Amino acid sequence: MTRAPEGDAEPRPRLPAVVTGHRRHPQHSMKKMLAVFISRVLRRVAQKSARRVLVASRNSSNDATFEIEKCDLHLLEEGPPVTTVLTRAEGLKYYRMMLTVRRMELKADQLYKQKFIRGFCHLCDGQEACCVGLEAGINPSDHLITSYRAHGMCYTRGLSVRSILTELTGRRGGCAKGKGGSMHMYTKNFYGGNGIVGAQGPLGAGIALACKYKGNNEICLTLYGDGAANQGQIAEAFNMAALWKLPCVFICENNLYAMGTSAERAAASTDYYKRGNFIPGLKVDGMDVLCVREATKFAADYCRSGKGPILMELQTYRYHGHSMSDPGVSYRTRDEIQEVRSKRDPIMILQDRMVNSKLATVEELKEIGTEVKKEIDDAAQFAISDPEPRLEELGHHIYSSDSSFEVRGANPWIKFKSVS
Amino acid sequence: MAVVAAAAGWLLRLRAAGAEGHWRRFRGVGLARGFLHPSATVEDAAQRRQVAHFTFQPDPEPREYGQTQKMNLFQSVTSALDNSLAKDPTAVIFGEDVAFGGVFRCTVGLRDKYGKDRVFNTPLCEQGIVGFGIGIAVTGATAIAEIQFADYIFPAFDQIVNEAAKYRYRSGDLFNCGSLTIRSPWGCVGHGALYHSQSPEAFFAHCPGIKVVIPRSPFQAKGLLLSCIEDKNPCIFFEPKILYRAAAEQVPIEPYNIPLSQAEVIQEGSDVTLVAWGTQVHVIREVASMAKEKLGVSCEVIDLRTIIPWDVDTVCKSVIKTGRLLISHEAPLTGGFASEISSTVQMFNYAICCVELPLYGKPCSIL
Repeated sequence: MTRAPEGDAEPRPRLPAVVTGHRRHPQHSMKKMLAVFISRVLRRVAQKSARRVLVASRNSSNDATFEIEKCDLHLLEEGPPVTTVLTRAEGLKYYRMMLTVRRMELKADQLYKQKFIRGFCHLCDGQEACCVGLEAGINPSDHLITSYRAHGMCYTRGLSVRSILTELTGRRGGCAKGKGGSMHMYTKNFYGGNGIVGAQGPLGAGIALACKYKGNNEICLTLYGDGAANQGQIAEAFNMAALWKLPCVFICENNLYAMGTSAERAAASTDYYKRGNFIPGLKVDGMDVLCVREATKFAADYCRSGKGPILMELQTYRYHGHSMSDPGVSYRTRDEIQEVRSKRDPIMILQDRMVNSKLATVEELKEIGTEVKKEIDDAAQFAISDPEPRLEELGHHIYSSDSSFEVRGANPWIKFKSVS
Repeated sequence: MAVVAAAAGWLLRLRAAGAEGHWRRFRGVGLARGFLHPSATVEDAAQRRQVAHFTFQPDPEPREYGQTQKMNLFQSVTSALDNSLAKDPTAVIFGEDVAFGGVFRCTVGLRDKYGKDRVFNTPLCEQGIVGFGIGIAVTGATAIAEIQFADYIFPAFDQIVNEAAKYRYRSGDLFNCGSLTIRSPWGCVGHGALYHSQSPEAFFAHCPGIKVVIPRSPFQAKGLLLSCIEDKNPCIFFEPKILYRAAAEQVPIEPYNIPLSQAEVIQEGSDVTLVAWGTQVHVIREVASMAKEKLGVSCEVIDLRTIIPWDVDTVCKSVIKTGRLLISHEAPLTGGFASEISSTVQMFNYAICCVELPLYGKPCSIL
């Protein structure tokens, strides 16, 4: 186990000053590091492939320890650890997952503009560390429910890129058979995908109740956004979860804007991690996948020990607007978006860490990039060529019934057969 | 008479079958084909681009209200709100994102003109918005709340049904929230799917104490909205979102009122009464002209305008004249408002004229 140099010697810059109001420290080492990388890459490219393999194995390590940001705490004595160990395997996995989510979202953007995807499409690029970090902190047998900005979670919870993109284009190969669309994708232990803001709060508390009832040591992660934090039913869910000590981790994905309304203009208190009131809370750097992972592990352990619910606020950012019909620049500046992209991008943070601590080489990561690109392109090709669901299925799955029955359609003479 | 009855039946069946060749395309015609003409391939239906299912038919320019200007639906709503805020110093507009102009641009410019005290955003909390609006209205101020999509009105359903609708009754007329108006975009738009397309008027029709109004055009919208705001009962004003840009006509600049609970006979006829509201009125008008052209059927077209309390007299008088009724609405068929209309008409008409003019076939609901 080698102790690698810090990923960045200077204090990590926070989210843009225009947003937080804090001063930020200019970071110059980024450019220097980039120059070093480029020269290294050029040197390596000149060598033969056999030697390159040798160089890679000699230069990479198996794991590294990193310092992560301390979480602000509410009603907690101790928080998650401030250092964490990242193994090479884990690092490569997280990198691949985050890159897949990023590329998948960008591909969805492209398909939407080409009108293969219609209706509503809410993209989560910029928030990859949240979905990957959360998944890294829980077991596959744990449960997760979130809002409509769900494509990343769909992937991390086990849906393939192909089934996600095909569902977006509304074809029969999609995970919801083409009938759900962007906001309604589901898989085992992943309950969507909810269009109505805040509606998933009480649902998540209910899933947590089922976990407690079944006694299987599972927990439920219930996500909502900074806008939904002001919905009444979220407060109701908090109360029920705390009253009955449900193993529910409430997670507020605070990307600073609810559609076009900034958090300060909508919330009396923007300390979302404190808004559980009697529920303990953590404020987590949502752009750092390791920070999210450690916080999630901490929160999951807390719930599993029977202490009741806990609240996590993930401070994150989305590059796209609220949805594809929102350019995303009428309520925030392009400079702000650019600043987050250049200084706080989650994939970049992980990449720098891994390369600096020799957990991986730039070429390896590039190769992963190429593989991911191919996967996404193949999935997109399938998504646009798959046929749409059969019209006979229009009336299916309305009710559960032993035998098929008839449902009236748009007029009394059109009847659909309903099977479920 | 029997021939006409058969013709009317054909009219209905042809409408359902969705037209062949030279007839105009309707949205969903591919769907109808798939079911009624199994030979048509599914792929055809899927790949054919569906055009808008109606053509907005503007009314002639109104002359009796002064100078007019061409406005679309959202501009006519802005104009009505502008008139209200100017006339009534206690009027306030609030809702999600209304300050910058609203997601459908219905409140553009109002905050700059009237100040942030009178046009302001609320957080994301429908139940809170309506409850808060009831509170404002109870003190006597005029509250104009916006629910961003009718699909989101359900968290506020309790406040509307249990609080707003019953305030006057339960306090023995000591208090009321009559100066509350709730505006909300309503109806299908083509790409809205589950949560941006709903038409929930039937849920509210079941609740005495509130009024539910749905305009078909910019001119109607401004007059009806001003009437809702001035009406001394809590009103819900549903604005067909597909008409926000698609519908444009000459609308008076000055305020004017269109009475509530009065249906409008848009077109007189003698063979069948067609009743609709909102966007569907334009579909029905097309149906009426197609029926005239192809079948020689004379249709009387009625725009209901106010869902509750609805204008029973106009509809029943029309059915007495024609003997047939067809109601068409966007909302689901079962328990939709058409069932209320059809059962009331049958009861009324049967009672009045069971000897002289029995109804041919059942009044039925389409779409």
